Amino acid sequence: MAEPTGATAPSSDLDFDSLLAPSASPSAPGSAPAAGTAATALAGPVPRPAHEEQPTWHDFAASWDLYRDPVACGVVAGAVLGMLGVFVVLRRAVFVTAAVSQSAALGVALAFLLGIYLGFTPPPVLCAFLLALGATGVLALGSPSKRLPREAVVGLLYVGASALAVLVGDRIAQEAEDITAILFGTAVLVRPQDLLAVLAVSLLVVVALGALYRGLVFAGFDPDGARIQGLPVARIELLLWTLVALEVSVTTRAIGALPVFAFSVLPAMAGLRASNRLSHAVLLAGLCGGLSGGLGYLGAFLLRFPVGAAEACVAALLFSLATLVARLRRTA
Amino acid sequence: MQASELKRPELFACRNLRVGIAGRAILPAIDLSVASGQFWAVVGRNGAGKTTWLKTLVGLLEPVSGSVESARDVRVSYLPQRSGLDDLYPLLAHEVVSLGAERGWSFLGNWRGQRRREQTERALSEVGARDLAERPFRSLSEGQKQRVLFARLVAGDAEVAILDEPTSAMDRVAEREAFELIRKLQTDHGLAVLVVSHYLSIVREFADRALLLDADAQQVVVGTPQQVFDHPAFRNRYGQGEVSYG
Repeated sequence: MAEPTGATAPSSDLDFDSLLAPSASPSAPGSAPAAGTAATALAGPVPRPAHEEQPTWHDFAASWDLYRDPVACGVVAGAVLGMLGVFVVLRRAVFVTAAVSQSAALGVALAFLLGIYLGFTPPPVLCAFLLALGATGVLALGSPSKRLPREAVVGLLYVGASALAVLVGDRIAQEAEDITAILFGTAVLVRPQDLLAVLAVSLLVVVALGALYRGLVFAGFDPDGARIQGLPVARIELLLWTLVALEVSVTTRAIGALPVFAFSVLPAMAGLRASNRLSHAVLLAGLCGGLSGGLGYLGAFLLRFPVGAAEACVAALLFSLATLVARLRRTA
Repeated sequence: MQASELKRPELFACRNLRVGIAGRAILPAIDLSVASGQFWAVVGRNGAGKTTWLKTLVGLLEPVSGSVESARDVRVSYLPQRSGLDDLYPLLAHEVVSLGAERGWSFLGNWRGQRRREQTERALSEVGARDLAERPFRSLSEGQKQRVLFARLVAGDAEVAILDEPTSAMDRVAEREAFELIRKLQTDHGLAVLVVSHYLSIVREFADRALLLDADAQQVVVGTPQQVFDHPAFRNRYGQGEVSYG
């Protein structure tokens, strides 16, 4: 077997990770591995000895230099996925993001597998993007049969990509310790190159979203009317799903599949619930997503929770708050 | 849709056109041309092929055989059936109207904001819907929604308006008001109007050309409303007394 070049990168990830909170275990800004797959999300936090001291806001502020990058990454990923998610939710395709993020994870796993068995490791984010793009392409083709809805294809992709990622991960795990960190990042600590990728891609996505905004609205609201007025509806849809694939692939690698899925759905739901105007809903969704990323990280630090799950929970709380505000406004 | 050498006022021409789904023709060949200022009514029972023909005319479906020709850069606006619009989208009425001005990739140019606002306000005023501008589109009544969609058509400076059962969810009074508004727009803007409608008395009153489609009987009849209503194919399908319906 070739030298496991792919395994060296993740190993250095884990070492860096363990530096994050020296007094605590490696996953939350306390400990447990960040929730990446449904399995890790369900597993919950790693139990800790009762005598461990509860972290405080002062501890967080004192180590801000250490936490700044992952917080920035969570805030930016939350804000941009939140805005993008409005169009995903409006197209009734929330689980597409889940399937795409699992495909991205499979792409990362395949990159490391190539490194182990073939001796060269292609950039994991590039592999993630290619697989994510492939998944969106398959979904764009629709159902292969009139007897099956498109949701069935989404389910097939989700399950297929998840299972393959676990299988491929099993082979990588022979060479590396923490498969979760390899596949999904940790959300606790973000490597500089991952933060850079998230910032660059997010900027591109925001600019593209602004440019395409009216086309996305028309193509979704009245697709036949848009086509008849000569709008390139199919290309607009392709661009939307390419942007989703891009953002999901870089953020999945950096912060994990669970928060990426949560950021793609819950802030958008909050924005759409709280506002009767689409442009305001998009901005609100961005705000909710950013807050979920930042407050989720802080909450995970203070309460010793896994970061990804904490970020998802804050997003769910903000949606509940938006629903409450909308109801109060309606009854007022 | 081919952009051939049709000269205005001729806007569309069907040449031996057969329409259908998945390559299977559902109607006999159709030959007709649509010119500026004409008011066409497309009639036929449910499943007669009306929407299939309309979609083929505007290029949403490929012809099974024959061709559709159009004038160069003809500006078409479409008012879909009620189910064609997605009510999940939280858009204000003026935002819906402003979409009428978009053509091709024009949505990329946000620098036209001021001009677009003026166009939108003018269009809403013209259809008497200025007071609806700031209201959520999805919360409007069917009649109000239709009025806003007519404003979208005006904002787009359309030459051809295609209306697929625009009054299907309206009562008779609202329906008459809608058709009177369509006729006003037709007159003021020289619009060609193609409207699918089941209300035959309204068709006879407002349309100057009619097209009867009947996929079951494999019949296509083109003429004035009176010629179509007097045709045996129409009588067989609708009965003798139906012309005075309404």
